[in-house]
Amino acid sequence: MELVAYESQSSVNESQLINRVIAGEAAAEREFYDTYVDRIFRLAFRLAGDDDLARDFTQATFITAFEKMGSFRGESSLSTWLHSIGVSVSLNGLRKTKRLREREAPMDEGMTVGTTWHHQQPDLRERLDRAIDALGEKYRTVFVMHDVEGYTHEEISGTLSIPIGTSKSHLFQARSKLRVALADFAPEWVS
Amino acid sequence: MTEDRFDEFLKTAAQGYNAPPPRTPRDEMWAEVQSARATGPRLVHGAGSAAAPAARHPFAGRRLWLAAAAAVLLVATGVGVGRWSAERASVRPTPATAAANSRRAAVPNRPAETPPQTDTQTMDPTDLPSSRVAGVPDDPAIPGSNRERTGERAPRVDNPPRTNGGRGRVISPAGRAPVPQLATAVPGGSVFRGGKPAPTTGFVAGSDLSANQPASAYQLVALRHLSNAEALLTSFRTRSEADAQLDAQLARWARDLLASTRLLLDSPVAADQQRRPLLEDLELVLVQIVQLSPATAAEDRKAIENTLQQENVLTRLRTAIPAGQRGT
Repeated sequence: MELVAYESQSSVNESQLINRVIAGEAAAEREFYDTYVDRIFRLAFRLAGDDDLARDFTQATFITAFEKMGSFRGESSLSTWLHSIGVSVSLNGLRKTKRLREREAPMDEGMTVGTTWHHQQPDLRERLDRAIDALGEKYRTVFVMHDVEGYTHEEISGTLSIPIGTSKSHLFQARSKLRVALADFAPEWVS
Repeated sequence: MTEDRFDEFLKTAAQGYNAPPPRTPRDEMWAEVQSARATGPRLVHGAGSAAAPAARHPFAGRRLWLAAAAAVLLVATGVGVGRWSAERASVRPTPATAAANSRRAAVPNRPAETPPQTDTQTMDPTDLPSSRVAGVPDDPAIPGSNRERTGERAPRVDNPPRTNGGRGRVISPAGRAPVPQLATAVPGGSVFRGGKPAPTTGFVAGSDLSANQPASAYQLVALRHLSNAEALLTSFRTRSEADAQLDAQLARWARDLLASTRLLLDSPVAADQQRRPLLEDLELVLVQIVQLSPATAAEDRKAIENTLQQENVLTRLRTAIPAGQRGT
């Protein structure tokens, strides 16, 4: 799992960067973009499951961020603020287009990140993906952010504007649904 | 396996869920961001770039435009032909009017060639009350005239109705609603109303030719229009969700058909008791489709689908179009 630690972003002097971006400094805009684009793109891709959509959502996120940078009041970190825009754009975009990824596509195309797929049964892989797709939007978002992308509940709470307890509850619900969905493969998981 | 072990397994297994590519296309996306910011905040979701939809359907827009333009042209031509032939039918003398004219010509003190009747003309002399003397002028100013003999005064006209050009329509003094028109009774039973066929019959009775021509033209136009509407509604129902970009084009098509539908609703075609409700329901559906756009919510599309299903619009359209007329 490739995680970008938030600590690495603390080196960015946020307030200075924000002021430079608001002032229209091109170099600052690019710096802001380079700092966060990987993480935003990864999350958008996880949610969309489609390269075109992920690019669109990422671009829309940064366009919106540049437009609204002037209204950023610093009540949360710049990263949290940007991620909340990213998740909002992605979920709204998915609702509008309703273009969820098609499972008919060869699975190996997207398996370039180091995973343990080679040791897992293809049917289980397929079943797990379908089960995650079938989760409700809020459960799937929390599950993807926490279990797949490694966000903490605090970060999820700030990004989705929900209490930490709600984030934990959603994750618990998501795991329970997945456990039931995969019961065929391991009956002992179902209590 | 315990719950914790399952959670660990889940975390590991789920890493392959929608796995992103190892390299983020930074520069490509940055170029798009800069381009979009330069041209405005417009961004099309669901495609690689704002230009992608056009590339995906290179000819779809042009085809729809051509089809819509052809449909509008056809309907406009048909309605024009229908109105033209209806006016000609009203001007053309029927055998009954010819007989009446010949009788007029035989009446003394009356010019053989009377000017064309207008809406304000009174009844034909053959329908005069028996107390009146044929061949005697009606003007009370003339000694010995009918009105002078009977003591009848000429009617005072404060706001005389005026005709509306050559279309034979009478406009009230207020200029709003048409006033009842003076009917000219013609022996033989046919009735002229203000130079236009009576609306109840649609066409002049006793003249098969004049009656059939407008009817055929209107029917032809109506069938063409219904066929086009069926094509539009079928396209709407069979389009996939991924074709949301087509909604704008469907809306433009529907806008043209909506104009035609309203023209037909104002034509004799709508006198048909079965066709009028169909046209009205079609108008409702088209109004909804006109408002479609790529940003339209799924619920709105569902509402259109529901209207189509509840009113059986598509089925009724297909029923209204005789076999062999589709696709013409």
